[in-house]
Amino acid sequence: MNDIIAELSVISDEQAAGLVADATHADLIAKITATPYQAERRDMPVRKPARTAGLVAAVAMSVAAAIVAAALLINSAGPPRRLPRPIVAEALSFTTFGGYIDVIVRDPLADAKRYNAEFKAHGLHIRLSLVPASPSLVGTVVYFDGSSAINPITARGRCWTGGGGSHCPVGLRVPIDYHGAASLVFGRAALPGEHYETMVPSTMPGEALHGLRVAGRRVAAVLAMLAGRRVTVARYLVESPRRGNVVAHRVPLRWFVYEADPWAPGQVVLFVGKTMHEVAYVPRTSQPAPTPSPAR
Amino acid sequence: MRSAQDVRSVGRRSRFEEIYAAHWAPILAYAVRRTSNGDDAADIVAETFLTAWRRLDDVPPGDEARLWLYGVARRVLANHHRGERRKSELSDRLSRDLALVHQDPEYTGERAVVAAAFRSLADADRELLALVGWEGLDHGEVAAVLGCSRNAVRIRLHRARARFAEAVSQVDSHALVPNAIGDRS
Repeated sequence: MNDIIAELSVISDEQAAGLVADATHADLIAKITATPYQAERRDMPVRKPARTAGLVAAVAMSVAAAIVAAALLINSAGPPRRLPRPIVAEALSFTTFGGYIDVIVRDPLADAKRYNAEFKAHGLHIRLSLVPASPSLVGTVVYFDGSSAINPITARGRCWTGGGGSHCPVGLRVPIDYHGAASLVFGRAALPGEHYETMVPSTMPGEALHGLRVAGRRVAAVLAMLAGRRVTVARYLVESPRRGNVVAHRVPLRWFVYEADPWAPGQVVLFVGKTMHEVAYVPRTSQPAPTPSPAR
Repeated sequence: MRSAQDVRSVGRRSRFEEIYAAHWAPILAYAVRRTSNGDDAADIVAETFLTAWRRLDDVPPGDEARLWLYGVARRVLANHHRGERRKSELSDRLSRDLALVHQDPEYTGERAVVAAAFRSLADADRELLALVGWEGLDHGEVAAVLGCSRNAVRIRLHRARARFAEAVSQVDSHALVPNAIGDRS
């Protein structure tokens, strides 16, 4: 499937590399680095306490931020608190200082209409919605899509998320003159029979299999462990290097489990395969994508 | 004698130049694949690297910088699509270099079906499949770009592939016209 999608790519990285003149690069670099980065702090409101690598940095700045237990933030509450004229709302708290509004979720179980109304009351066009989430993500922000002017407020070491590790965004810092739109998705408890839409691995703290090691064990052994937790398997996903995950409802007991993800309350999905080691996807990074041309 | 401020400033510029040199081609290709003209692609690239310059301390080292930049480019593109385009003179020259890069692809037969099905997907599904199929990222890398867990990527990718397969089966190949992808018709 990756191959047929790759065929729709209009250009490869290698082809792109031949498009731009050296003088253009020099011009762009000169213009960008002439930008007064400190004078532009309106666009870069959060100076995070320390640079962190990889996933964490991607999360911290990010388009889609897996965030933390909001319950934690009630105690740990991220931003530096010198200041303030706090206007404590029922579902969200808004604290204004230094040209920014810090928004922290106080009541993760409030109705979405209340969040949206409170944002609106503060002149912010931010939409908050809720999706069923695996237990450790209930009450956390699991997705953020908005302008780079809005940055997450993080609390380090007070929580753990699958994407962010212990570097957990717990709220939003919004420039006071920001008028753009943003979307925010919160995790909520799943209703009976409802599938989780967002999750971290089942063996993470707060999840159904916390404390168990399932990766690398045979299916038979893992099923026994699940029975001890009164957890059942909703489906198996069999890894294929080219076809991705193929759904199966029964697999040989001698196969191996790679990971377990929450599926619904009391149910998990097992990623499995014939070999002990997970099959890697065929890397395509260095392979030039074909340029589309009239086919056949 | 240079002041400490000057030294920091030179060091900052030097780090930015290294990041730019190492990653401009994949970021440009990312932008070209998702836009329909050189002006838009140039804006995405310029805005992405401007963000990197302003937030240099946040850019991770090594190849992780590329994933970070994809994440920025994705958000810049989303703002662009929402009409928040901030046309700047930064990208004028780059626009000229890219004037001819967006040729109208003409798809026929099976490829036209695939193109139409791909276009019919929700933005999130399309981006997920494109990050794998076009940028060649693995699950962990996609997770870094999207800021979610590797497992979440697997699940979402699984669902996106299922929806894509369904879309391919739903496309009425007789109703297709050439140029059925993107905004290039």
